[in-house]
Amino acid sequence: MNNPLSADVVVIGAGVTGSLLATRLANAGKSVVLLESGPKIDRDQLVARYRASAFKSDFMSPYPFSPMAPHPRYTPEPDDYLHQAGPHPFAAQYIRMFGGTSWHWAAQLWRFVPNDFRQHSQYGVGKDWPIGYDDLEDYYYQAECIAGVGGSPDNGSPRRHPYPMARVPASWLQQRVTARLAPDFTVLDDSTGRNSRSFDGRPACCGNNNCMPVCPIDAQYHGGIAAQQAENSGVRVVTEAVVYKLEHDTQGRIIAANYFDWNKASHRITAETFVLAANAIETPKLLLMSVSDTFPHGIANARDTVGRNLCDHPAIGVTFDVDEEIWPGRGPVSPCSIGQFRDGAFRSEHAPFRIDISNASQVAAVTKEALSEGYFGKKLQEQIRFRAARRLSIKNALEQLPDPNNRVTLSDKKDPLGLPTPSLFWNIDDYVVKGTAKTRECYDAIAAKLGATNVRHSKSGKFSNRQHITGTLSMGLDPATSVTDGWGRAHDHPNLFMVGTGVMPTVGTCNVTLTAMALALRTADKILQETQHG
Amino acid sequence: MAKYWTTLSGAGVLLFAAVQTHAADQSELIKRGEYLAIAGDCGACHTEEHRAPFSGGHAIASPIGTLFSTNITPSKTAGIGNYSEAQFATALRKGVRADGKQLYPAMPYTAYARLTDDDVSALYAYFMQGVQPVDTPAEKTALPFPFNLRFSMAAWNLLFADTHVFQPDASQSATWNRGAYLVQGLTHCSTCHTPRNVLMAEQPSKNLQGASLGTWYAPDITAATLQGKSHWTRQMLADYLATGHAANGATAGGPMREAIDKSFSRMTPQDRDAIATYLLPAATEAPSPLESKGLTPVQGNDFPDTIAGMHEGERVYRDNCASCHNLSGQGLNGLPPLQAHPILNKPTADNVAMAVLQGVWPEHGQGMIGFADSLSDAQIAAVTNYVMQDIGHSSVQISTKRVSVLRAGGETSPLLVISRIGMAAAGAALIITLFWWRKRRTSR
Repeated sequence: MNNPLSADVVVIGAGVTGSLLATRLANAGKSVVLLESGPKIDRDQLVARYRASAFKSDFMSPYPFSPMAPHPRYTPEPDDYLHQAGPHPFAAQYIRMFGGTSWHWAAQLWRFVPNDFRQHSQYGVGKDWPIGYDDLEDYYYQAECIAGVGGSPDNGSPRRHPYPMARVPASWLQQRVTARLAPDFTVLDDSTGRNSRSFDGRPACCGNNNCMPVCPIDAQYHGGIAAQQAENSGVRVVTEAVVYKLEHDTQGRIIAANYFDWNKASHRITAETFVLAANAIETPKLLLMSVSDTFPHGIANARDTVGRNLCDHPAIGVTFDVDEEIWPGRGPVSPCSIGQFRDGAFRSEHAPFRIDISNASQVAAVTKEALSEGYFGKKLQEQIRFRAARRLSIKNALEQLPDPNNRVTLSDKKDPLGLPTPSLFWNIDDYVVKGTAKTRECYDAIAAKLGATNVRHSKSGKFSNRQHITGTLSMGLDPATSVTDGWGRAHDHPNLFMVGTGVMPTVGTCNVTLTAMALALRTADKILQETQHG
Repeated sequence: MAKYWTTLSGAGVLLFAAVQTHAADQSELIKRGEYLAIAGDCGACHTEEHRAPFSGGHAIASPIGTLFSTNITPSKTAGIGNYSEAQFATALRKGVRADGKQLYPAMPYTAYARLTDDDVSALYAYFMQGVQPVDTPAEKTALPFPFNLRFSMAAWNLLFADTHVFQPDASQSATWNRGAYLVQGLTHCSTCHTPRNVLMAEQPSKNLQGASLGTWYAPDITAATLQGKSHWTRQMLADYLATGHAANGATAGGPMREAIDKSFSRMTPQDRDAIATYLLPAATEAPSPLESKGLTPVQGNDFPDTIAGMHEGERVYRDNCASCHNLSGQGLNGLPPLQAHPILNKPTADNVAMAVLQGVWPEHGQGMIGFADSLSDAQIAAVTNYVMQDIGHSSVQISTKRVSVLRAGGETSPLLVISRIGMAAAGAALIITLFWWRKRRTSR
């Protein structure tokens, strides 16, 4: 491979945010190099890998793993790539490959509600953002147009333009649950980047119900599309390039990135501007690894802020059998949710949350369950049919407040390239516990309205991850409590920018990708504005 | 005096009524013209996406170079605003512009020649009064020598153009005659479905017997073939023209899909029935509709041993096609089955490969993704052959080389070389003759 030695802008991480930013810069005439630690794999190969996988319930199974650019794995056994140092395990999942983690998602592309940006001044808890909803509204819309987003218009996030995409028609499950829960609970269409018509060279959703782990027809937007667009726009993409150190000059400007290829040959690339887009755990890791005499604790970490305020949506779930056939498994896996607890005066007391109603096929889960109960033969078939037709699965997206003690650091273990692996400390506070109790009350009320039997709550006191990893590169006005400014620029390094969910100071009550996409487009415009020469 | 006024106002009322009737007639005429323009699919070439209707500039790839459609809005500077009805009729039916220059037969004037005077009048009324004038000229067509010599088309017309207006056949029904008028004229079916000779003229002896457009293949739509393996009925044909789908499993792709979206689907059911009646003059019994299978059982496996024993084509099919068309082409939840799909019993596999390359993109409803960017020519040939042979039980195959030709947009025509050689030979002959003649004179 003929590796480039310099560029106007080097972007590290070919996920959706880095790719969108790289595309915008390249379209404006910048020479851009996009470094990606993982490999490039096409959709059909991912489909083949999933078809051949013995672990159909593990949505990471189609995605290639390499010890050269490792990521967390949990089947058949956890790989312990992430060291868990806190009271609650933070079971992060992300994908190191061309396109990044949003290969494997349900294309949920939500805007925050305006009060999410002024949480502290409004409710006296958490943090205010350095920017407001209005600063981001136009960028939200740009990102929605790129991805083809549709959803319920009145979901608490005001819009100046209607959604660019009509919603995919409601599945039978969604229709029945919406009707049965009204008026106590209002079920809304999720805001998703899923085609309901041919758009952007991709067809409409045809209901494969395979959004996770991979849409076999590209009906939903994902990072692989964004990364391919970057490459098509003239961005030079180097895959299997694991950046391990940023170099700086005496003024603190970043001058070069050093990376290993998968044969452990080291390469060095210089640029005027550097953008880190390597996810909310791997970007802090890179900053913490980039130590020097001037910055002994790492780049952008003079005040020990990098990697702190690690947040996700700590989730609880419930499953039950509805008293009628609702047939999950046809149409998108995550079509609808309840948004009435996302904002309100109660936020000063307990965590707000969204309730997410799954439409994913339950056949695998109920089969496993019926087998474990000892069913076989004809009775087993009957049980699978009965339960698969009625099973409803619900979980929440509940806001955790930023806590500087929840953080990413470097473990003392090394990967095969000799690079340290991440260590995570994650705790749950009372605000989450109280919000979780409220969620559970809602679950019981919903189950009652649907005539539920066989109600099973997830284990009390345990929280699962939603992979909405935020906070570790927080934007803020005060360098003592944040890593980046309102544009995603490192406080002490004027030509170093960060994009991705890590720069979000709070996690809100919705999936975080659209906000990160909007912020990345805004950062791209800022870079263009600053580097335009007379 | 009073009488005078009464008479005058009476005349005024009459005149007013006459003007009103005329206006009503005129708007009726314009409306009819608009319908005929849809049936003639004028917009397919003369309306470019994201531009004003009929303002031209649509690039038409032809084997001899790219042609650009013209602005046919009533603009007096950039369009046809200065055309008289007679000049309009001559352009439409004889392929001669108002300035006397010849049109290229990418404009199907050889078919439009069948149009009645009444229909030409209606079209004229619509294009003059029902279309917004656009003063932006369309891109100019610049074909390579010798095709840039438009007068050469006059000789072509003399050789090949049939300029007779449609003559109904009294022995046939009115519906059949309406269908014949549409198929031979406005809907210009033969433009694609009739094979052309070396000079690119349709071969009347092979009317509607199927032809390659360089990429997509326009199949044989003569009655015998339609009623053969694919079991078309009139109802199926009419449904197909309305929606692009028919009960025999047919789904439209490529230029036919576009013709259905822009033209056939917007015609009246009576006209679609007429077309079906003309194409299938002997009414056929509807075969029993394909049995609805209900839920599709899960089948097959992806064990490593199974996959290892597979040919490339089957593997590509599994990874790219099976999640919609199902493991053996049974279709899935309303998505098209490939088993018994008429596309698989054509004399060529080009359309399967074209659908794989470009996808299928109807204006409304489910589209199919294209694989030009993700599959190699060899992979596309392999999966096409798998679909033709293992799903369609056809012995027709495609080569990797043919797929690369399709990917590139079809073969370039030998016409350019032939005509240049021809003209050079003629030139040489002329020079030799002159030389010989001079020599004879001087030697005398």
